[in-house]
Amino acid sequence: MDEDIINFAVDYARSKGVEYVEARAQSQVQEQFMLRNGILEAYLSAVDSGFCVRIIADGGIGFASTNKWTKMEAKEIVDLALKYAKAANRKDKIKFAEEKGIETKWGVDQKQKMEDISPEEKISKFIEVNKSLSSCGVKIAATMTSCSIDLTSKYYVNSEGSRISSFVPKIGAFIFITVSEQGKMEQAYEQFGYSGGWEALREWKMSEKMIHNAKILRDVITKGKAVKPGTMDLVCGPEVTGIAAHESCGHPMEADRILGREMSQAGRSFIYKGGPYWIGTRIGSDLVTIVDDPTIEHSYGYYAYDDEGVKARRRYLYKNGLINEFLHNRESAAKLGTRSNASSRSVNYDREAIVRMANTFVLPGSMTEEELIKDIEYGIYMKSFTEWNIDDKRFNQRYVGRESYLIENGELKHPVARPIIETTTPKFWSAVDAVSKNVEFDAATCGKGDPAQGVPVYTGGPSIRLRGVYIK
Amino acid sequence: MSDALGKTEEIVKKAKALGADEVIAKTTLGKYRQIRFSNNQIDTTVAWNDYVTDVALAWKKRLVATQIRNFQKVDANIKKLFELAKVSMENPMFGGFAKGSFKYAKSKADEKLRDLQNPADYVFEAIEAAKKEVGSEIDSGGILFTKFEDVYLVSSEGPVGFDKRSAIELSIRVFSEREASGHGVECSSTLNNFDPAKAGERAGEIAKLAKNPKIGEEGVYDVIFNPLICGSLLAVWGSMASAFSVMVQMSIFVNKLGQKVAPENVTLKDSAPSYSLANCVFDDEGVPTRETLFIDHGVLKTYLHNTSTAKMFKTETTGNAGLVFPHPWNIEMDPGDMSREEIFKEVKKGLYLTNTWYTRFQNRAKGDFSTIPRDGIFLIENGKITQSLKDLRISDNALSLLGNIAYISKERQHVHWWGEAEPPSLAPYILIKNVHITKSK
Repeated sequence: MDEDIINFAVDYARSKGVEYVEARAQSQVQEQFMLRNGILEAYLSAVDSGFCVRIIADGGIGFASTNKWTKMEAKEIVDLALKYAKAANRKDKIKFAEEKGIETKWGVDQKQKMEDISPEEKISKFIEVNKSLSSCGVKIAATMTSCSIDLTSKYYVNSEGSRISSFVPKIGAFIFITVSEQGKMEQAYEQFGYSGGWEALREWKMSEKMIHNAKILRDVITKGKAVKPGTMDLVCGPEVTGIAAHESCGHPMEADRILGREMSQAGRSFIYKGGPYWIGTRIGSDLVTIVDDPTIEHSYGYYAYDDEGVKARRRYLYKNGLINEFLHNRESAAKLGTRSNASSRSVNYDREAIVRMANTFVLPGSMTEEELIKDIEYGIYMKSFTEWNIDDKRFNQRYVGRESYLIENGELKHPVARPIIETTTPKFWSAVDAVSKNVEFDAATCGKGDPAQGVPVYTGGPSIRLRGVYIK
Repeated sequence: MSDALGKTEEIVKKAKALGADEVIAKTTLGKYRQIRFSNNQIDTTVAWNDYVTDVALAWKKRLVATQIRNFQKVDANIKKLFELAKVSMENPMFGGFAKGSFKYAKSKADEKLRDLQNPADYVFEAIEAAKKEVGSEIDSGGILFTKFEDVYLVSSEGPVGFDKRSAIELSIRVFSEREASGHGVECSSTLNNFDPAKAGERAGEIAKLAKNPKIGEEGVYDVIFNPLICGSLLAVWGSMASAFSVMVQMSIFVNKLGQKVAPENVTLKDSAPSYSLANCVFDDEGVPTRETLFIDHGVLKTYLHNTSTAKMFKTETTGNAGLVFPHPWNIEMDPGDMSREEIFKEVKKGLYLTNTWYTRFQNRAKGDFSTIPRDGIFLIENGKITQSLKDLRISDNALSLLGNIAYISKERQHVHWWGEAEPPSLAPYILIKNVHITKSK
C-alpha cells in the first residue's frame, strides 16, 4: 500500500473545503480452497488492494473507491465522492459524533505464520477431516469443505488527525456433511473462525466435531422421536444461546436499523423512538445480560479500532434484562445524541463501513449445565440448531434443533428429531430463569449491507434454561 | 485489438509458456454506482471502479485460480499461480475447459449507463410515485444501482470474446405505517426500458393495502405469490438445478433427472438474455450463453453445467460456467394463461404474499425450509383481499411447493432483490396449493 497516495487523497479533499474526509486503504492477501467429498476442486490465491474516500459535504455523504494506485486516480475518486456528497441535497444534514484524532498501529500475532505453511499442508489438514469422517462408522453421502485465509493490512487517515495502521490475519473454514442412514438423509454444517495464525487448527478439533455431528445425525435418523407439541421447559446449549443473542439482541440493537437506514434490505427494528421498546425497557429476565465485544483476543470478530478509527470496547446491549446500549457508528451516534462505540466495520476498501456486531454473547451465570437440566420435569435440551430465521424487525424467530434430547425428571432421554421453538424476542428472553457458567463461542458470518458485506463474528454464551415455552 | 484484450491474451500466453495445460483469463473493467436512501432522503452515494483479471489455470488436472488487480506484477502473479498448481492436488473429475471457437451474439448493453448523469432523479421519481399511491406521509428507503462492464475473455482452448454488460436497478420499500409496508423493484439492462416510477407505484400500492395489519393464523392455505416473492422461489429452484448443488447433495433435484417434479403447467428456463440484469453473451469458459430448459412441463430435463460437470453427467455444457462452478444466470418461468385477477377469483380462503426474506433450510436434499414473508401479507376470501396480516412464516418444503403450483399468470415481471431474489428472474404471479403457514407462540 502506498501511504503517500492515501495522505494525498485526504489533503486534496481538504483543499476542496469539505466538512470531513477519510481515506481507507486495504490490502488483502487471500487464499481459498474447496474440497468436494475429500477431493480438491480448486485453489484460489489472490491479492486485492485498493482504497476509498468518504466525504461529507453540504451535509451529504459521498463514497468512491478504486484499485488503481495513482495520485491521478485518487484525485478522480475524491472529485467523484465530493460531487455525490453535494448531490444528496439533504434537508437534515449528516454530521458525525465527535472523536479525537488517533495515531496508532495495532495488529494480531500469528504463533504459526500462515505464510510459512505450504498449500499442500493446508489442504492435507482438511483431507484428514474427510478421511476421519469416512472411517467413523457413519454413512457419509457427501461432504463439502472450504477454507479461506485473509491477511489484511489497513491504513486509515481522516481529516481530524487520525492515522491508524493495522494487520489482521484471519482463517475461516466451513464443513458441510450429509449423512445417509436407512434411506433417509440429514445434513449439518460447522463454521470455524479465528484471528491469528495456523495454530487455529489445533484449537478447532475439526475431525472430532464433525464425527460428533455425523453420529448425531445418524442418531436423529435411527433413534430420534418427534416431540409432542406443547408448553414445556427448554435448555438451550451455547450454540443456540449464541444465535439467539446475535439475531434477537445484536441485530435489533444496531442503531442504523433503528434509524431506518437499512429499511429496504435487512429491515428495521422492533426498537424505535416512540414505540413500546427503547433504552431502559425490559426485554428479558434480570438474568439476561448480552454483550458485544470486539476486544476478545483471537476471536473471529476481533478488532482494536473500528473502520472509523474509534477504539473498540465491550458494549452492554441488554443488561440485566433491560435494553441498555445500541451499537453505533459516528453517524448514528450523532443522530441519537451520543458517542460512537466503535461498531463501524467494512469488509473491503470498496464498501462503506456500516454498523456491525463483532462477538455477541450472553454473560455466564453460576450454575452448571447439569444443574439446569436436573430441575426440569419435562422438557427439551436443544444443544445445537439447524434451520433458523427471524423477521426483519427482529421480533419473531425460530430455531430448529439439530442435536436435541428429551428431558424427563431431570435426566436426558432419547434424541428428539428437529424440535422447534418459534417465539418472540421478549417471550424468549423473559422465559430465562437460569444461566450456566460454561461459555462457548461459535464462528459465524454475519450478513448485512447492500452490496452484501459478510463480516466475521462470534456468537456464543452459556447454556440457558427457559421455563414454559411452546415447543413443537 | 484493444489494449485490455491484448493484455488478457498476454496473460494466457505467459501461463502457457510456463507449462500450464489450459488457461482462461477474463478481464473486467467495471464501473458501479449505487445510491442508498432511507427516510425519503439520500444517505450516501457510492461509486466503485474495479479493474480485475480472473485467471483459471489447469495443470495435470490441478485447477487453480487468481485475481490480478495489480497489472505491474502480472509476470510474478502468473508464476506464483503456476507454482501453486504444481503443489496443489489433482482433481480427477476436472474435465478441462470448453474447446473451440464460438460466435457470440452482439451485446445490447446501454452505453448511457457507463456514466449516468443525475441518478438521484430516479430515486426521487420513485419516492414521488409511491407518495401518489399512499399519500405524502410515507417513509421509504432503498437503492438505485447501475453497472457497466467491459469484459474481455481469452482461453487457451480457443474461445476469445468481448462483451459489454449493463444494468440499472431500483429497489424501494415504502412504509405507510410502522408495520405496513410494500416493496417494489424495477430492473433493466437498459435505460430505455427502465421506469423507476413503476417500482414506487408497486411498493406504494402494497403499502396502502397493508395498513392496520392483524397477526395472522397458522394453517394450510392456498397462497398467491406476486412476482417479487415468486422470484425468491425461482432463485431456490434455479440454484438447486446447478450440477454442483446436485453433486454436494444441496439440491432437491438429486437423482430426479427425467422425473416429474412439478405439474404440467410448470416450465423453467435459464438464460442470460439481453433484457436481464445478468445479461452476458458468454460464460466464464467462453461458451455462448443460451436458453436451457431445465424443467419442461413439469419434468426435470437437465442440470446446469460447465464443461467439467457436463462430462461427469455425460452431457454437454449448458453455458453456465462460473470461475469454478456452474450457476444459473436468470430464471424464467413460462407464463400461464390466466390473468392475476382470474387467479385471485380461484381462491376461496387463502393468502397473498408480496415479499420474503431469511430463507433457511434444515435439509437441502430433502427441501425442508422456512422463510418469513414481509411487506404486504393479505388474507383472501372469495377472491378478494379482506384483511392485511403480519407475523407469519412459510414452513414447508421446496419440492412440495414446486409440485403444488396450480396457476400461473400471463403477466410476468423482471425481478431481482437483495439476497433473496438472486439470481434475477422473469417471474409471474403463481398460486400454490396447501402451503404450511406458522407463527410465533
